[in-house]
Amino acid sequence: MKIVKVKKSTIPLSKRERKRYILFEILNAQVNEKDFYFGFWIELLSFFGSKGLAEINPKIVLFKENKVIIKCKRGKEMELIGGTALVDKIRNKKIILNPLLTSGTIRTLKEFAKI
Amino acid sequence: MIFMVDLVYTQPLKELLQIAVYFREPTIVLVNNEKDEKVAKLNTLIPCYLFTEKTTDSELNKFRGKLKAVLGGSIKANELAVKIKADFLISPSNTKQFFDLALAKKLAENNTTVVFMFEELMKLNSFERHLYWKNYLEVVNYCKLKKTKFVVASGSKDALHVRPKIVRLCLAQMLGYPKELANSSIEQGFK
Repeated sequence: MKIVKVKKSTIPLSKRERKRYILFEILNAQVNEKDFYFGFWIELLSFFGSKGLAEINPKIVLFKENKVIIKCKRGKEMELIGGTALVDKIRNKKIILNPLLTSGTIRTLKEFAKI
Repeated sequence: MIFMVDLVYTQPLKELLQIAVYFREPTIVLVNNEKDEKVAKLNTLIPCYLFTEKTTDSELNKFRGKLKAVLGGSIKANELAVKIKADFLISPSNTKQFFDLALAKKLAENNTTVVFMFEELMKLNSFERHLYWKNYLEVVNYCKLKKTKFVVASGSKDALHVRPKIVRLCLAQMLGYPKELANSSIEQGFK
């Protein structure tokens, strides 16, 4: 029997789900990416639950010099920013997550943060 | 002058000032005596007297004409806020509900702002947190109906628990308070 490889059809750009990128600044302590990822995820999961978090669909896109770019679904930025208020400790280091800018492209945020 | 309303408890000044300057938000400090009031005024912070249900009438008369906040959380305390026409009613309900439509109406008439202290939510475990959140969804609904001012404040005793304005606005919106009302409530003028 011959196996025929079927080429996966990609969703065109115009029909893909819209997303938003939010730039956060970590104040007060130096944390590494892994610790941040863990602390961030635990807090959001406990607050929103699996369903709520799936709807927001947050993803850490970039972590550099205590500045983080997080991706989420369009229209859910408010929930994400509100949820991050609950992140107060990472590895017993007290931190403040300060949202600086929301944008539709990573480039704008990179230019703003100079990273 | 117009200020962003963010209430915090009395705490070490140095850190609080650093945070307030960084966020460019002059915070309102809840004080209990004249000494704390003077310190706050000297450091460009806004003092506000905190009253509880145990406060006597003589104490209430003593601080007439100053910013007043009442710590709610019981029927008596909530009534006190209406009686003295306080500027702020802090945490009108907790894991139990003490807020209703009639109270919201009276507070709107007195131009009192209902304050949700964010740090109280952070301290709770996940079960209590859901009760707290559920009660505040109801509080916000009443505030929305009667157009009572509602604000989410940091309410912290530690400077590192102070949250910026945008986060507090988002939390108010998550509770169901309309964006325009949230904006107008958070920006208030004081003499």
